[in-house]
Amino acid sequence: MAGQRSFARKLMFNAFAWTIVLVIVFPLIWMILTSLKPQSELFMIPPGFFPEQVTFEHYWRLLTETPFLTYLRNSTVLATATTLIVIIIATLGAHSLTRFAYPGREFLARAVLFTYLLPSVVLILPLYFLMINVGLGNTLASLVIAYTTFALPYALWLLRSFMAGIPDDLEAAAMVDGASRMRAFVDVILPQALPGIISTALFTAILAWNEYLYALVLVNSDDVRPLTTGVMSMLVTSFNIEWSLLMAASVMMSVPLIFVFVFLQRYLTRGFGAGAVKG
Amino acid sequence: MSGISVQGVSKSFGDVQAVQAMDLEVAEGEFVSILGPSGCGKTTLLRMLAGLEFPTEGQISIGGQVVNDKSPADRDIAMVFQSYALYPHMTVAGNIEYPLKKRKVPKAEREERIRQAAAMLKLEDLLGRKPRELSGGQQQRVALGRAVVRDPAVFLMDEPLSNLDAKLRSHMRAELIQLHRRIGRTMIYVTHDQLEAMTMSDRIAIMHEGALQQLATPKEVYARPANAFVAGFIGMPPMNLVDAKLDGDGNLSVFGRQYRFVASDGPGHSGEQTVKVGFRPEDVVLRDDGEAARVAIVEPTGHEVIVVFEIDSARIVGRVSPELDLKADDQVRLAPRVERIHVFSGTDGDRLGGVHSEG
Ligand SMILES: Nc1ncnc2c1ncn2[C@@H]1O[C@H](COP(=O)(O)OP(=O)(O)O)[C@@H](O)[C@H]1O
Ligand SMILES: [Mg+2]
Repeated sequence: MAGQRSFARKLMFNAFAWTIVLVIVFPLIWMILTSLKPQSELFMIPPGFFPEQVTFEHYWRLLTETPFLTYLRNSTVLATATTLIVIIIATLGAHSLTRFAYPGREFLARAVLFTYLLPSVVLILPLYFLMINVGLGNTLASLVIAYTTFALPYALWLLRSFMAGIPDDLEAAAMVDGASRMRAFVDVILPQALPGIISTALFTAILAWNEYLYALVLVNSDDVRPLTTGVMSMLVTSFNIEWSLLMAASVMMSVPLIFVFVFLQRYLTRGFGAGAVKG
Repeated sequence: MSGISVQGVSKSFGDVQAVQAMDLEVAEGEFVSILGPSGCGKTTLLRMLAGLEFPTEGQISIGGQVVNDKSPADRDIAMVFQSYALYPHMTVAGNIEYPLKKRKVPKAEREERIRQAAAMLKLEDLLGRKPRELSGGQQQRVALGRAVVRDPAVFLMDEPLSNLDAKLRSHMRAELIQLHRRIGRTMIYVTHDQLEAMTMSDRIAIMHEGALQQLATPKEVYARPANAFVAGFIGMPPMNLVDAKLDGDGNLSVFGRQYRFVASDGPGHSGEQTVKVGFRPEDVVLRDDGEAARVAIVEPTGHEVIVVFEIDSARIVGRVSPELDLKADDQVRLAPRVERIHVFSGTDGDRLGGVHSEG
C-alpha cells in the first residue's frame, strides 16, 4: 500500500518537474531548430517543428559576412577582464572584511551593499559623461569599468559570507607552520574559498556577457560593440528582423556560457571544507 | 635553551581584559599546564606565545630571546589547535609535510621525517586520506604529527583532547606523556580539565579571570592552594569552604568548635577578621565528638561514597567508605581532619595558613 502510494507520488513529482523543464527548454529548442531551417521554411503554414532540410548557411553567413566575430571577441574580452578584476579585488577585499578588525569595518561593508542597491539605470548618464571626460568614451575599458562597478559590491558580499565560514584557525595554523600571512592566504584560504570564488566568477562573467543597457549607451561603433548590442543593431532594424540569422547568433552566444557551466559545475558542488574543523 | 619567560603580559580586547599582568617562567623541557575555567584567557595567552596575538603590555621571551615582534613563523614553536585546524584540501601526508615545506626542508628529508612522525603516531595507513575521511581521534593524531614533525623548541597545545570521547581521551593522555618523555621539549598545555593538568604536568598554572592564581606542581596545588579560588577549583568534588571567625589571638571558631590558627605556610593574620575555612571531602571524618549533621544526599561511586551533609543550612561534602552504609536522613557527627584545614582571607581569598590543634 505504502509502496504504491509513494510510487504514485514520485510519478506525479517527476511529471510535474518534467513539465516545468519542457516549458523552460522549449524556446531554446525552437531557437536551435529555427537557426537550422532554410529561410523558406520559416513562415510555413502550418509551421513544422523539425526542419525538413537542415542547413548551416545562417551560421556561415554570420561568420563570414558580418562583424559577428568582432562582437564575439569584444564580449570575450569584456567578460574575462571584468571577471578577473572583480575576483581579484573582491577576494582580497572579502579577506580583509572577514579577518581584520579595524574601525569602520562594518560600516564599510554596509556602504558597499548600499551601492549595489542603487538601480543601475540612474548611474548611466553620470558614468557616460565621466568616461568621456577621462578619455574612455566608446572603449571596451569603459564597459569593463561600468560592469565592475555593479558586479563588485555583490561579489564582495558573496565572498565575504563565504570566507566567514572558513575557520580562523586554518590561517593561524599555516602561520605557525611557517607561512607569511600572504602565503597562508594563498595556501589555505584560497583553496577553501575556491567554490565561492568560482560561483562569484560565474555570476560576474554572465553579467558582463549578457549586459545590454550600458553597452548600448557607452559604446557606439562596431569595433567595440559586444554581442548583445552588436547582434541587435546588425539584425534588427525598424523594417526587418532577420530571424534565421538572429537565431543562429543567439545559439552561438549561448554556447560559450553553456560550456563554462558544464566545465565548472563540479567545482560548484564539490565538498567545501567539510571535516576541516570539529567541535 | 628554550624556556619561556612571560613578564607582566596583559592583553585586552576593547573593554575585555583577557589576560592581566601575567608572569610565568617555564624551564626548558618542562611540561606546564595552563588550567582554568572557560573564558579565563588561556587561549589568548597561548596565542600570544605563538605570535598570533600581540600583548597590550609586557614581554615574552622564548629561549632567552624577546619575541614580542617576531611573527609566528620565526618563533620555532608548533601549535596544536583545539579544532585541530587540519588543511582540508591536503592529505594527511600533505598536512604533516606543510611545515617542513614552509621551512624549505629538502624533499628526501621531508619524506623521511613524515615517515618517522607517522610511525610514532601510528598514521602510516592514513597518509593518503583527506582529513574529512578521518575519525576525531585520527584527526587529533594528524594535528600532533604536524606539530612533532618539525621538532620545534616549544609545543603549544590548546585543549587538544577536549573533542575526544572519554575513553580516547585517557588513552591520548598517556600517549602525550610518553611523547613528552621521548622528545623532551618544552610543552605548554592549555586545558580546562583538571584531571589532564594533574596527571600530565610538571607544573600547573591556574588562571582565573585573566590572572594567574598559582603556579606550582600538581601536588602542591592540591595540598596548599594559594587562594580560595584554587581551593574550590581543584579537586573532585571540590574543597568545602565555610565562613568562620578568627580573633586577634589566633583562635578560630568553625561550627562552634575552637581551633588554633597557625600561619606556618601563609602570610598570617592581624587582628580579628572573617575568614574562609577549607577542607577537602576526604578530610571529613565521622567521630562521636563531631558536629551534628544530617545526611542529605548519598552518591555511591563504587569504591567510595560521596555524601552531602547538612549542618544547619550549610552543606558539607564528604568522601566516605561504602562500609559505613550511610542513608539519606541519617544523623551523624563529623569534623574536618585538623592538620588538613586551610584558612583563607575572607576578603581577597588569599591563603593565610592552616590549623595547628583543636581547643
Ligand atoms: N578576538 C577577540 N576579541 C574580543 N574578545 C576576545 C577575543 N578573543 C578572546 N576574547 C575574550 O577574552 C576572554 C578570554 O578568552 P579565551 O582566551 O578564549 O579564554 P579561554 O581559552 O580560557 O576559554 C573571553 O572573555 C573572550 O570573550
Ligand atoms: Mg580556549
